[in-house]
Amino acid sequence: MNIEMTKQSTTDQKQNIAKSDVLTPLTLGFVSLTDSAPLIVAQRLGYFRQFNLDVTLCPQNSWSTLRDKLQTGLLDAAQLLAPMPLASSLGLGSMQVQMSVPMVLSQNGNAISLSPVLCHEILRNNALAELPFPMPASLLRETIEQRKKRGEAALRFATVFPYSCHQYQLIDWLKQSDLHNNVDIITIPPSEMSNSLESGLIDGFCVGGPWNAKSVREGTGITVLTSYNIWQDAAEKVLGTSYAFAKQHPETMARLCAALLLSCEWLQSLPNRFEAAKMMAESGYLPEPIDVIAPSLLGSCLTRQNATPQIVPNYNRFFFENASIVNAPTIEMQELLLNKMRETKQLPQEKFSADALQKILENMVNKSCFERALALLAK
Amino acid sequence: MKRNDKRNQSAQVNNTNKLSILLIDDNESRSAQLISALENSRYQVSHLLTSGASLLKKVDELKPDMVVIDIESPDRDILDSLHTLSSFNPKPIVMFSEQEDSETITRSIKSGVSAYVCGNADPKRVRAILDAALARFEDYQSVKQELANTKHELEAKKIIDSAKRLLMQSRNMSENEAFHALRKMAMDTGQKLEDVAKTLISMLNTIK
Repeated sequence: MNIEMTKQSTTDQKQNIAKSDVLTPLTLGFVSLTDSAPLIVAQRLGYFRQFNLDVTLCPQNSWSTLRDKLQTGLLDAAQLLAPMPLASSLGLGSMQVQMSVPMVLSQNGNAISLSPVLCHEILRNNALAELPFPMPASLLRETIEQRKKRGEAALRFATVFPYSCHQYQLIDWLKQSDLHNNVDIITIPPSEMSNSLESGLIDGFCVGGPWNAKSVREGTGITVLTSYNIWQDAAEKVLGTSYAFAKQHPETMARLCAALLLSCEWLQSLPNRFEAAKMMAESGYLPEPIDVIAPSLLGSCLTRQNATPQIVPNYNRFFFENASIVNAPTIEMQELLLNKMRETKQLPQEKFSADALQKILENMVNKSCFERALALLAK
Repeated sequence: MKRNDKRNQSAQVNNTNKLSILLIDDNESRSAQLISALENSRYQVSHLLTSGASLLKKVDELKPDMVVIDIESPDRDILDSLHTLSSFNPKPIVMFSEQEDSETITRSIKSGVSAYVCGNADPKRVRAILDAALARFEDYQSVKQELANTKHELEAKKIIDSAKRLLMQSRNMSENEAFHALRKMAMDTGQKLEDVAKTLISMLNTIK
């Protein structure tokens, strides 16, 4: 990473014009979603510049490619699905590269939607007039058994990535009713979910915003519960970088965290959330209409066309009261994810000794960077 | 007539010998380049797909020898998930990138599936890359197989050892006598040593 002189600032955010002439360039990868809001906000409100960073936002089309570019240093840092740094540090699904996580960027934000055909079957099989919200997975049982009797294929759900909270949340939801072994789960890019539901390729999916709202607006899907109803206030996206990069550039990473913490805090107020939805729609990073992006940010879960939305205040959570509650990186969070990887047999029992695992987790949770960021903000 | 037959036959033989490639690319002119770069080689682009969620089904149906995909394609995650699904046979996957710094990625991507990146469609280079990817993939598969074999051998040795110990204790045999007794049983019944050991363990344990 080189230090370079910047051109005269042309930003219209006059109050946030860089305090110094020297900006550190940094590439920040992400996959465009509703909860990318902290990144877009930091760029638009000049928070990166405020901390002397010249950040280039690099949207990626797939999590695999984002991971590969981060592992090889083509990207300096990235917004990642919470389980991705652990998967990379353990060498699951990719080569093994130790990652560093200095902060959590958001909690919750995913939801499970089903096809109208499946919903119809559920209503009929359970003699219901309406689906409850949140819907328990047990309501699927009769349909699963009937399809089996008729010799039809098992229900097929999709998530966005094998190492994602979406995957574990979907499995945990099914597990509550002991149905996790009766359903097929495949991977599909989020933007393909709505089409796949409509074409019958899948019967349901677990995905983040704005893709549930989009499917509801298009009439292809019915949202039956959010991830908040499965895992309350669990880390969803984190800031990640390679351990090597974090070691080499501790100050840059602390400044990046500080800028993103400002964004997360700014996103606490509802009027700002609406503003953020507008920013994202206008930025070109998330080319979807505002009535698809805004609802989850405003704590509103669209369930089906023309129905009153459900109120889920923590649908997207970026900050609460003080930075440590939502944003601090913790070893407990990594242990929880590690357990999910074991439960789902992604991590073979014999692959690592307990000591080796402990070391990997400790190297990943970058508390010192987070604390340095808090100190920068206190100045 | 005869000549025609022969030609048909050779075309068929040729086809079955060729390695079929499933190419996923939304860029038509680029795919045309790759297809022509592979003319008269042992590779053949047998199917061309644009991006879409049906990829998983297609890979399962078409059973290509190799998949080639743009590293920037949203469908990469679908392919990446293939090796977490045990029901799918692993395939060598080659990724291409138009970025100049593709070498960095080339050096490093080796995630279960072998993956290489080509920056341009220079025929010689493309073929070399596909060759390397295939070789690498086969290496990886054989290492995996070897690992499985070694594991199995270790397991078998454990079973045979404990059967020997049981014989030594219950029949007062020396280690050598126990081993010979096992081997004789195996030869007499035409079974593997390990299977005889298994039967013996369960028998001796039941008698106890």
